[in-house]
Formats: sequence, structure tokens, C-alpha cells
Amino acid sequence: MKIILSIILATSLAAAAGAKEIKLLNVSYDPTRELYTEYNAAFAKYWQAKTGDSVTISQSHGGSGKQAQAVINGLEADVVTLALAYDIDAISQQAKLLPADWQKRLPNNSTPYTSTIVFLVRKGNPKKIKDWDDVVKKGVTVVVANPKTSGGARWAYLAAYAYALETYGHDDAKAKDFITKLYKNVPVLDSGARGATVTFAQRDIGDVLLAWENEAHLALKEFGADKFEIVTPPLSILAEPPVSVVDKNAKRHHTTEVATEYLKYLYSDEGQEIAAKNFYRPRNEDIAKKYADNFSQLKLVTVDQEFGGWANAQKTHFADGGVFDQIFQPQ
Amino acid sequence: MKTELKKLIVAAVIGSQFVRGSLAQDSTSTNAAQVQIPAYAADGAGGNTAEAAEIKALKQEVEALVQKVNALEAERAPAQQSATIQDLDQKVRILSRERENDQEAAAAFAKTQPKISIGSSGFSFASADSNFVAQLHGLVQLDSRTFFEDGGNNGNDGFLLRRARPIFTGTVFHDFDFNFTPDFGGSVVQIQDAFVNYRYNPAIQLQAGKFKSPVGLEQLQSDPYTSFNERSLANDLVPNRDLGIAFKGDVFNGAVSYTLGLFNGAPDYNGTTTNSSFQDDKAFAGRLFAQPWKNSDLGGLRGLGFGIGGSYEASHPNTNSATGLTPGYTSDGQQKFFTYSSGVNASGAAWRVSPQAYYYYGPFGLLAEYVVSDQEVKKAAASTDLQNTAWEVSGSWVLTGEDASYNGVTPLHPFSPHNGQWGAWQVVARYAALDVDNKAFTGSVFADPTKSASGAGAWSIGLNWYLNKNIRANLSFSHTEFDGFTGKAAPGVVPAQAENALFSRVQLSF
Repeated sequence: MKIILSIILATSLAAAAGAKEIKLLNVSYDPTRELYTEYNAAFAKYWQAKTGDSVTISQSHGGSGKQAQAVINGLEADVVTLALAYDIDAISQQAKLLPADWQKRLPNNSTPYTSTIVFLVRKGNPKKIKDWDDVVKKGVTVVVANPKTSGGARWAYLAAYAYALETYGHDDAKAKDFITKLYKNVPVLDSGARGATVTFAQRDIGDVLLAWENEAHLALKEFGADKFEIVTPPLSILAEPPVSVVDKNAKRHHTTEVATEYLKYLYSDEGQEIAAKNFYRPRNEDIAKKYADNFSQLKLVTVDQEFGGWANAQKTHFADGGVFDQIFQPQ
Repeated sequence: MKTELKKLIVAAVIGSQFVRGSLAQDSTSTNAAQVQIPAYAADGAGGNTAEAAEIKALKQEVEALVQKVNALEAERAPAQQSATIQDLDQKVRILSRERENDQEAAAAFAKTQPKISIGSSGFSFASADSNFVAQLHGLVQLDSRTFFEDGGNNGNDGFLLRRARPIFTGTVFHDFDFNFTPDFGGSVVQIQDAFVNYRYNPAIQLQAGKFKSPVGLEQLQSDPYTSFNERSLANDLVPNRDLGIAFKGDVFNGAVSYTLGLFNGAPDYNGTTTNSSFQDDKAFAGRLFAQPWKNSDLGGLRGLGFGIGGSYEASHPNTNSATGLTPGYTSDGQQKFFTYSSGVNASGAAWRVSPQAYYYYGPFGLLAEYVVSDQEVKKAAASTDLQNTAWEVSGSWVLTGEDASYNGVTPLHPFSPHNGQWGAWQVVARYAALDVDNKAFTGSVFADPTKSASGAGAWSIGLNWYLNKNIRANLSFSHTEFDGFTGKAAPGVVPAQAENALFSRVQLSF
């Protein structure tokens, strides 16, 4: 009997000491598919070299707000890489799956890369769209996702609003009028940024797409530079898509260590380079310089500067009964 | 339309010339030619050369204007049409995209909604992700029994509510199944099943609670699917439901199933089960059953299954108030034909072995099992080891051609007389026998031959009518003969004469 127990124990220890197969679920927002497909492969290789363990990362994509709600409702994400901090705050506050100060755990407020909102127009820019004023003109059809469900759409809304505030001396009434005109030009609201890209690029709807910078570049790459062109307005918003481990899920899955390292590796040279190649603005200055040609220079305002932070922006503009509900009338 | 427009334009131009002319009359900067037009026009008759030239010039001017209008029209029309077409195209695209988005949203929304279904398999409520499922099933059996040539004393003729069970089953957190089945049939309300089963995967499951002890083949067959109203004599020797915990699973895609459990330990079949232990010792029970060709292309062998079930209990204390023995072996008519004498207790080891098999091919079905139940018993200073045996073979044939199976018959044409459909009909036949160890009667210590039979043999025939998946009606007849009875054929003594019983049943199950 002792011999059998010894064999079982030895076998168990040997199995425990062997390489592990780890699975992670990254719940992300709409346009990061390509970024994380490339990054996941790089991280898996890095992790195996470092620890001998193989890690398989599954991705889930959708409108950032919808994705956050899915995690709150039980989607067992080990990490979330969403479009804006407010959505991760919602997971923390409503589902208590991670601490309230999650954003302090990684550099740059847990935002390893940034982006902004630009215009994607049809080749030749037939409507001569150069700045936000052109977007609100009568007869211009604008494609953008629903800010209630899409992080990118919220950034686009705030970029336009910020432009109006800057242009009209922070006159809120005029800014509201400006944003009203803009959304009068929006015939259809998709639930996510990728859906809006499909509407504009594949369904041939509209004159201009208010797009994530990386999404606009991807559209050029995907559909051909002979069909579209990117117009960078002189002013836009600094979009900071943050990342976090979902502590309770990761703990339950015994993936806390690898999930943390997965996010930390986004700040590594390789992680930053992958971000830059996918048209996300890297935090690392050297890599930003290396890929400077990928990114146009423009004035970037922040949510904190213009709107007093995300919580305030959410409450004022996107909460039920907020400014967006007041100004948007489905056509 | 265009011609009309041109006429209007020409008229307007000419009119404007007249107006200009009349205005010119009042003007200080007079244009002579224009001034004269109204005069000429008023004359209406001929005119001088100058007037003719003037008219000609005017005509030319009008023609030139008409040409200009034509040219402008020709220029503008395609552009306008094109703009209209583009506008319409965008509107169509937008509507189409909105529809696409609505469909996606509806599909996504549907995925988040709980699902409710009602059908022949009962009522089911499931969460959107199917992690939580609650199902309500039911089983109601209204029987009749009529005994012949029994002198009017044995077995009550009449109707009985044999089973009336609401069956609550379901799943929580995806992997945990549960079953709670009370029974309001008969004269005693009892909990038949109450268990939780954790499914790690189909091959590894852990079940805890009250459920059927994994020994007898016929006993493990679900109640709505048995061939006859009552299970056979062989079933007298296997345990009924018991409390315990069991590992179980299906391997090789269900070709082999196993169960191994630890239970309180149940006596030979007792229709009334308890919800607690009546003694300290515990019993192991297990079963291994194979259907090697279940997933093969060999149609003739796919329905063949065979296996072995058994139980073992090391020792049973004879000091317990409960005897640990069967309250009695019963006939098909549920009449006791054997009981242990007063003061006899189980004492020492008890074990059972039951080789078993079934075979189903098309409408044909065959089920057989053999059971040995070995029990050490003691009465005062006397003790012995008794080995009782039983067996049964039952066959069935679905007259209407449907497939027979261990899990019942599903009619191809559910009962609907308006459409000339009559459901499925099945004939069934069975022979079973039970033999009590003769040592039980030695010196009449453990059993009294003047009160009990030492064995019984019964044949049964029946007709089952499956109106649809939920309703079934049975009619059957059983003849049971008893051996070894030496008592008088006094009224109320069951084994004094053969039992002839007619059974009927109307069953609702879902």
C-alpha cells in the first residue's frame, strides 16, 4: 500500500512540477482585434521562454460599454483592455471584481498606449472635410457608433464637444448646439466602432467616419488607400484606453501572475512596438519617435481638462437623460 | 411636360418683352424699338419693313432663349437625377444597415434572455447561458387490479393511485444537476429521489443524496418505461432507493457506464424507503454495464447491453431494532408470499450479485437478469447464511413497428382518430421465479412454511398502448404459483393458492 501511495505521490509531484497550460481571457473593445492577435502571440512566446508554461489567450471584442456589462454579468475575463477607464470603473463598482484603485497599479494610469479620433473620408474628400466645422455642415452624412455602448464613440463625441468648447469660448449652450448639429448628420448608430467602420467602408454609407486613429489606418490597409483617406483635424482628444487584471476572476482561475505579466508586457519594448505598428500611440518615447510617421501632429485635449474627468463626463453626457439623450433623435 | 414648360418660358419671355416695352413707355431712357412693339402688336395687320425686322429679331431672340433653356435643362436634368439616385441609394443603404443592426441587436438580446420551453418532455426554464436550468416533469399512474379465484379475501380489487410524482430536476452553475421527486401515490407520501450530481465531465460524476441503488437492471429502468405495471419477482432481491454517495460516469461515448457508491445499506426490495440510516454499518454497491456496439454500424448489435451489479455489506448488527431484512417478498399483485419469522435479524455480511442484459432490435426487446441475495441471519442463538435467488426474462414486440428500447417506445403516429392514427401498440410477456433458501425453513426457525412460500414462479402477458409520448395505457394478466407452502388454505393466506391478477393502467408522464 505504501508503495502505491509513494507512486501516486511521486506522479502527482512530477505532474505538478511539469509545464502548465494556462488559459487567459482578454475582454477588449472593438478595434483591438488585430493588436491583440499579434500581441498575444508575442506574449505567449515570451512567457513560454521565461517559464516553460504555454499560455493561450482568448479574445472577446465588442463595444466597450457592452463588454464591461458582459464582465459585470459574469463573463469570466482574466484581464480587461477597454476603451476607457469609466468602463473598468463600472466593473469595479458594480461587480467588485477588482479594487477601486486599479488604475494605479500600472504606469501611465494603466494606459500602455493612447489614441485619438480622426476623420476617415472617401478618396478625394468630396465634401472637403478638414475640421470639425465641416462635419456639422448640412448635407454631410456622418458615421459614428453609439456612445451609449461604444467607447470609441464616446471619445468621438467628446472630441467634437471639446472642439466646440474651445472654439466658442467654453460656451456650453453653443457646444450643445454644435453637437446637436453633428448628430443630426448621423443616420445610423452602430453599437461598436468596428460596426461603424463596416457601415462606412463596406456598406458605403456616409461621407465621413469619426474613427479611432488605429481603426482609420486599418481601414486604409484593409480596404485600400485608393478608396479612403485620413483627415486629421487640428484638434482632437487624447484617448487613453486602459487595461487591468480582473482580480477575482484571475484568482479563481489561478491566473493572477500570468495575467499581471500579460499586461505589464504591454509596456515592454516589444509590446510598445506592436502597439505602434498597429497605429496605437506608444508611451515609450523612443518607440514613438521610431514610428512618428504613423501619427499626425495635432492638438490633443484631455477628458480631465475639458470635462473634469470621466465620471463627470459620463454623468453629464452619456448617463440616461444626459446631454446625448437630449440632443439625439433617431432618424 | 417639357414642351409645356418651354411654352411657358417662351410666353414669359415674350410677356416680359411686352412688359419691358410698356415700362419703357414710362421710362426716361426710351428704347425706340421696344416702344413700338405694343403699337405694332396692337395693329395686328402687316407692318412696315422695320417692324418686320424688329419682329424677326425678337423671334430670333426668343429662339435663342429657348435654346438656352433647352441647353440648361439638358445640363441640369442628369445632375439632378444623379443626385436623387445617390440620395435614394444612401437611404436604402442606411435602411439596410439599420435592419442589419437591428437583427444583430435582436440576436444579441435573445442570447441574454431566459428560455422557457414547454413540450412533451415537460416544462423547462433556463438562463440565457444555460448555466441554470429548472425542469418540471410529472408521473401519474392510475391502476386497477382484479384478482380471480382468490376467494374474495386476498388482494383488494379496485383502483389505486400507484404513483403521483411531481419531478423537479435541473442544473445550477452548469455542472451541478439536481433531482427532487416526492411521491403522493399509494397511501404514504415519501421522497423517492433527492440528490445532487456533480458532472466534472460525462465520465466523472459524483452523486450524493437519495437515489436508486445501482444493482438491479429492471429496478434501474425508469418507472414510466417498465413493460408491466409491476416489476418482476427478481426485483424482490435487489435494493430499492438508498442514501449515499456514488461515483459514476459514462465512458467511450456511453458504451460503458459505471457506478460505485457507499450507501446506508438497504434490505431486499422494500417499497417504502427511509430517509435515514437504521444501523452503523455501510454498504458498497456498484454496477458496470456495457453496450459495446452502441456507437457502431452493426445495427443488429447496437441494442445489446450487458453487465453486472452487486452490493456488499460487511456486517449488520443483530441488536438493532430494525431487522435489516426485507419486510417480505411480494407477488406481481404486490401480495406478500414470504416473510421472515418474528425475531429474525440480519446478522453479519450480506451481498448480492446480479448479472443482467438486454437486447433491443427494431420492435423487438428482451430483458433478463439473475439475482443472488446472500444474507446471514440470526434468531436468538441460531444463525445461518441464506442465499435466495431469482431471475426473470421478459420479451416485447411493438406491433406498430416502432423501435423498442430500455427507455420506452415513442409512437410514430400519435393517437389522433380524426386522422386515422392510433399510436403504438406493444405486446409483452414475462416469466420470473424466486427461490428462498431452504435453510430458512429448517426447523421453521427463520421462516414458517405454514405462513410463507419457499418460492414463486409467475408468467405474465400484456398489451401496452402508447397513445403518444406522454400517455400510455396497459392491460396485463399475471399468473403466479407458490412453492413449499404447507399451511392451510385459510382466508387471507396468500400462498395458499395461485394468484391470478388482471392489471390495467392509465399513465401520464412528461
